[in-house]
Amino acid sequence: MNPSDIFSLAYDALVDRKVRTILTVLMVVLGASLVVVINGLSEGQSAFLQQQLNSLASNVITATSGSHSYYGGASSQSSLILNDVIVNKLRSLPYVTQVVPMYSGSVTINSYGNVQRVSIVGMDPTKLTVELPNLQFVDGSNLSPSDRSAAVVGDTIANPPGATTPFVTVGQTLKITYSYTDSSGKSQQESRNFLVSAIMTPSGNPRIDNSLIINLDAANQILHKSNRYDSLLIQTQDDTYVNTVQQEITDIYGKNIGLNTPQAFIQVRQQTAQGNAMFVEMIGLIALVVGAVGIVTTLYNSVTERIREIGTMKAIGAQNAAILALFLVEAAMIGVIGASLGLATGIVGGYAMTSFPSHQAGGPGGFGPGGGSISSFPPIFLPLDLIRVWLLSVGLAVAAGIFPAWKASKLSPMVALRRE
Amino acid sequence: MSLSRDKSGTRQATTLVSRANETANALEVRGLSKIYDSTAGRVVALDNINFTVKKGEFVSIVGPSGSGKSTLLNMVGALDRPTVGQVLINGIDIFALNDSQIATMRNSLIGFIFQSFNLINRTTVLKNVKLPGTISGMSVSEANERAMKILDALGIGDKASQKPINLSGGQQQRVAIARALVNNPAIILADEPTGNLDTKTGDDVFDMLKMLSRKFNRTIIMVTHNPELAESTDRSILIRDGGIEKDVIN
Repeated sequence: MNPSDIFSLAYDALVDRKVRTILTVLMVVLGASLVVVINGLSEGQSAFLQQQLNSLASNVITATSGSHSYYGGASSQSSLILNDVIVNKLRSLPYVTQVVPMYSGSVTINSYGNVQRVSIVGMDPTKLTVELPNLQFVDGSNLSPSDRSAAVVGDTIANPPGATTPFVTVGQTLKITYSYTDSSGKSQQESRNFLVSAIMTPSGNPRIDNSLIINLDAANQILHKSNRYDSLLIQTQDDTYVNTVQQEITDIYGKNIGLNTPQAFIQVRQQTAQGNAMFVEMIGLIALVVGAVGIVTTLYNSVTERIREIGTMKAIGAQNAAILALFLVEAAMIGVIGASLGLATGIVGGYAMTSFPSHQAGGPGGFGPGGGSISSFPPIFLPLDLIRVWLLSVGLAVAAGIFPAWKASKLSPMVALRRE
Repeated sequence: MSLSRDKSGTRQATTLVSRANETANALEVRGLSKIYDSTAGRVVALDNINFTVKKGEFVSIVGPSGSGKSTLLNMVGALDRPTVGQVLINGIDIFALNDSQIATMRNSLIGFIFQSFNLINRTTVLKNVKLPGTISGMSVSEANERAMKILDALGIGDKASQKPINLSGGQQQRVAIARALVNNPAIILADEPTGNLDTKTGDDVFDMLKMLSRKFNRTIIMVTHNPELAESTDRSILIRDGGIEKDVIN
């Protein structure tokens, strides 16, 4: 039999059982699309984290009170209070070029009646470039480190996703409200107006883009920090000294101080992301295997239903190989259609999933690299990954067809013709 | 002996086949026996069957149910292997062939007509009829041309694009006859070809087989229960208890 005849017969057989064929194809589509989406999002997240790493200075250590770090774990009971004494001590260490103290918290901001809840950081705004060397500001911005009423606004706050007009502009007044519980346990609120002196351009770091920077003293006052810093940015001469300085600080303060580097954070995030991606990809593969089992069932039923047809074909001279090829081509057609639709669905699904706006999460202390939710970065579909998923889906489909096809090819024509 | 195909898929007969084509007998059955051993005991389905069928002869095989006539037809059609004995079609000892060669032989030397037609209902009459040609690797145009020629000759050329399920029983059996003829086989084996048809339609189908034998010199072996139809063939072989009881020229 010519290959075109086998394709024609296989196509007719699949069309004859439309609903069953569609349902079987759907199983392959689901498995393939799931794997494609996961791969796309995983690649997107990986590229996003790499972009963040590139935007961060590599010679900076973030110190926080206590031993907690990006690796998890809570502060120890004897955690260090980060104050000016510690700052001066750290500044005196070899290879340390500067130490930037920071306060952090969460406030509500009000602009012409519009309200947002944002992260607030108290620091010298001119030191933002210590951690983000490429940071830039919109035209008209003016950093005023000593101005207690000046605020520097992140891009996401100024231009919320989906909004047609900016939330704030340079020169505008912003009302900041801080809610806290006083020593008697009562809820208190404190509000102050700030002048927007500068707006950051998109930094590529979701945490900083969603932060408001104010003067160190102003933050100490409004956030009731009592001169206890939340974190310190420690800049070393260059990145080769990071480990040395980190070790030196650990030798002095032990576990009472938490030390992190952007690289360490990104590494943990990458590992977590890879772990998650592997887990979900396993689910996708399981879905593909379920699809393959569906193909086995469909084709096995088909063999049973078409047993007289197989008997007739063999009686009129069809070779075992032709019957085997006929059923394998049916399986391959299901695989090819399912895998191709699965790829298309996965790509569309990946972009659809990332088109919804979301909030970002991040690590503790300072700005750090942003966490980024699943929808904060576009998926990346690598051609090689797509080809791999396509081949895997088609291969599984064909493999699933082997047993029913073999069974059909081995049928005795006499036995098959007798079967009702 | 062997049957093989060349790369283009067209049939390539061996020298033995060429020699066989020169023999006068289309079919020779020599000492054919079929014995089934089961837990219930030994069953002799066929016992030392011997007969020959000349080219162009129309032979009926008759006998009561369970006499072994269908088993005999299955052996002659190489759908089953005998316990002992030989079947020669056009001089070719078909059981000396391997399974693949038997399949090729069935395709090129035997045309089957079944009681329940055994057509593929999801596809068209034309595709059904040309299927043996398709299996033999015949070109699409040649298979189409041959199939249409036969369908026209059998008076159902206008049904070529229809699906068999939409045809009457008689028309479906004509499609099956057309399919049996498309590869120009040495013998046509018909197993109760009128068994699923009413008397009038059955007679029409039988007349058609008779016409094929008379007009086109086809060799036909037909299993039937109907003594009237059997008497209308050239020769009747009566099978009883696995053996030939009578071999009568009509």
